[in-house]
Amino acid sequence: MALNRRDFLKVSTGASGSLMLSLTLPGCAGVPTGYEPETGEWRPDAWLEITRDDQVYFTLARVEMGQGTYTGLTTLIAEELDVPPERITPRFAPVADEYRNPLYKLQLTGGSTSLATSWAPLRTAGASARQMLILAAARVWEVDADRCVAQDGRVVHPNGIDSLRYGQLVELASKEVIRGEVPLKPKAQWRYIGRHKSRLDAHAKSTGTAEYGIDVTLPDMVYAVVSRPPRYGGRVQSFNADEIRAMPGVLDVFEIERGVAVVADKYWRARKAQDALEIRWDFDEALALSTDDVFALYEQAAADDEGVSERQEGDFEAALQAGGSVIEAEYRQPYLAHATLEPQNATAWYHGDRMEVWAPTQAPDLGRIAAARVTDLSPDDVVIHTTFLGGGFGRRLTQDYIEEAAAIAYRLAHPVKVLWSREEDTRHDLYRPAMLHRMKAVLDGGELVGWHHQIVGPQILDWYVRNAAPAQYPWAPKFMYDSLGSVGLMVEGIATPKDVSAIEGAVEYPYQVPHIEIRHTHVDPGVPITWWRSVGYSHNGFAVETFMDELAHAAGEDPYQFRRRLLNRQPRHRQVLDRVAKLSDWTAPVPAGRARGLAVFQSFGSYVAQVVEASIDNGTIRVHRVSCVVDCGQVVNPRIVVDQMEGGILFGLTAALYGDITLDGGEVQQSNFHDYPLLRHYEKPEVRVEIVDSDEAPTGVGEPGVPPVIPALGNALFALTGKRQRTLPLRADG
Amino acid sequence: MTLSLTVNGEPRSLDIEADTPLLWVLRDELGLKGTKFGCGAGLCGACTVHLNGQPVRACSTPVELADGAEITTIEGLAPDGELHPLQQAWIEHGVPQCGYCQSGQIMSAAHLLATNPSPSREDIVAAMTGNLCRCGTYSRIVDAVESVVAGADQTTEGA
Repeated sequence: MALNRRDFLKVSTGASGSLMLSLTLPGCAGVPTGYEPETGEWRPDAWLEITRDDQVYFTLARVEMGQGTYTGLTTLIAEELDVPPERITPRFAPVADEYRNPLYKLQLTGGSTSLATSWAPLRTAGASARQMLILAAARVWEVDADRCVAQDGRVVHPNGIDSLRYGQLVELASKEVIRGEVPLKPKAQWRYIGRHKSRLDAHAKSTGTAEYGIDVTLPDMVYAVVSRPPRYGGRVQSFNADEIRAMPGVLDVFEIERGVAVVADKYWRARKAQDALEIRWDFDEALALSTDDVFALYEQAAADDEGVSERQEGDFEAALQAGGSVIEAEYRQPYLAHATLEPQNATAWYHGDRMEVWAPTQAPDLGRIAAARVTDLSPDDVVIHTTFLGGGFGRRLTQDYIEEAAAIAYRLAHPVKVLWSREEDTRHDLYRPAMLHRMKAVLDGGELVGWHHQIVGPQILDWYVRNAAPAQYPWAPKFMYDSLGSVGLMVEGIATPKDVSAIEGAVEYPYQVPHIEIRHTHVDPGVPITWWRSVGYSHNGFAVETFMDELAHAAGEDPYQFRRRLLNRQPRHRQVLDRVAKLSDWTAPVPAGRARGLAVFQSFGSYVAQVVEASIDNGTIRVHRVSCVVDCGQVVNPRIVVDQMEGGILFGLTAALYGDITLDGGEVQQSNFHDYPLLRHYEKPEVRVEIVDSDEAPTGVGEPGVPPVIPALGNALFALTGKRQRTLPLRADG
Repeated sequence: MTLSLTVNGEPRSLDIEADTPLLWVLRDELGLKGTKFGCGAGLCGACTVHLNGQPVRACSTPVELADGAEITTIEGLAPDGELHPLQQAWIEHGVPQCGYCQSGQIMSAAHLLATNPSPSREDIVAAMTGNLCRCGTYSRIVDAVESVVAGADQTTEGA
């Protein structure tokens, strides 16, 4: 990415004489940075601040939810600034245009994009600051700047003896002007990128001092819980308000858009009052579907509508007529909950003309919209304070918890914390959509000549526009918020070129096959859905890589060799595939009673191949070992890459073995970890991860570990039992 | 009811409904936010604290059962300003991802080491199985506990 430094870097002196740099990321041209050239004034929410006492503050615009931005993005600054990462203090960014994700033009963290989109600009920010500090020191010493070097927070004199601390230089440095491009350090000089292994948030998270949303405490804070309709779309008809108000500690009970709120002085009192709450619901417009109805709807849609062609090469129909053997399969995947370990929560404080909200959110600017939507405030009247997130996985991109807190706080004189129970979190999630995949292929004498993939299911933006559209159209009056998405302002071309949530991972089908057709039949059962770690790749990965396995077996070829042959024009796929075959001893005999399965899949620009070794023991699927090779371009923190792969693998295995949100008459049937289990310590396989050494631009690692492990396990079970499972979750007796 | 308990070595007394879970007393009455709420049903272990030296799920322990008891939370695992060897190992191994479950993980591990200073890998896995981690940090957790065990063994051998 070519960056013109002068286009996006703003420098000034902070109130206490500190050096501050502000960036406007590419794609946000024209966005005011808060810098006033005439007066030199600058608001103190800069990206980078160096104080006179050598404190280095870095404003972290991508939230930390476990994926490692807190460490990874700070490392980029540290490298170019020549300061150890541990000496930099990250601060969570407030809502401001310059902190928007340039890919989405929204301030959100998702899509495994944080490092990729920060790679060039943050290094340039660090390098610019370093260069200005060097120029300032050179001016003090009256020596040639080229002969001064930066080192561990100091600028060193050409004599190699004298040095000045950054803190001593910041006031002078802020007046320096850099001419021309700022050179970035060559890879050979990197000290932290690719080498740094610690996590900057590990201390706070090992001592109980990291502040999550649930931990926010405010003076005279009260607590609220919300009873939401047991079926999505239900409405409150009436409830026993007087009885509840008389209960110990209860301050109020009232209806909000999303249900009935009980406010009490203590959380437990709010819960006990909620237990006594009797609500009559109006279910006239509520969801009434059961899981079987969802798939019946999909089957009908698939039959009635061949869908929109999303990719076409060659002529699949002709290939079908040409007389090879035709293989067909149909795959079904369930709704999945996010199950962040920190349940949804938000704390809001209405100050009469403005509101503050503290929340573990992946999209703080959409949080402002959510608060404005349910009050008379405008988004500009709402300040969002982002905390650490106890897991995100896409759940916290939707701002329903902020909406609730804001609606409740708007009626109270006190700050209020809204906290969901685990049961509420499971039942009122927005789910990874259930999907149906119809696959058809033509094999001609062992050669795969035709591939047809029909994806059947909803699109996430249809749901998400309600959250996102107003943030993109700040000029829109509030009464338009709910219609902005539906009138199509955001759907095509502006916010994102296209909603690929249903088809991603299917349209990038990488195998060299002459006749390819990918279609999407759009059908939405009305069950709330949103982004879920690896999104469309999570279900398309299973469909594509399971069907490839079926075809390899139908062609009588080893699944590794079958794929490898068809990837001869995809060097990055092929490299991770070859390396995982080696890492897993693919060709060596499997221990008795076990079998191996394989998958290779690109998502979010990263290439991941995995081999699962599994058995079935006493009616239980046991996963013994997962081998994983990842190519994510240039690595910044190798330990975090390994951890994200392993975390993605366990997340995928949880889905493959247990993940199943079901509906009965519109009600979600699962509630807590006994009926929506997560993988536990004793079930964890041995995981081996290798990282490809690469000079390619860095790509994400938060999500790409998830998709391949699901088909790899299914393929292993087929190798073990000879029975192909086409419905998730997988079963020992399937 | 009026209750007396000793939390991290400090005597505390408070007036609260007897059925309030210990978790909310620790978090909201005593301001000890390191102990987390995950499931409210004793299924995830995020709220693990020590009650008279035994690990309990604070979310499902009515505070009346803690009357007169000694409670240790993540904040009291090591003296002020110091780190428990497990916390040190957690930092060195970079265990936490989102970090939300880690207080509970560390409290479970601390109880294991208090009762079995030389656990095998299987012992560790068995002892930690009640603590869920959605991010998938299990390998790092076991490595971190093993490193403390190995360190303690070395110290013993050297003594």
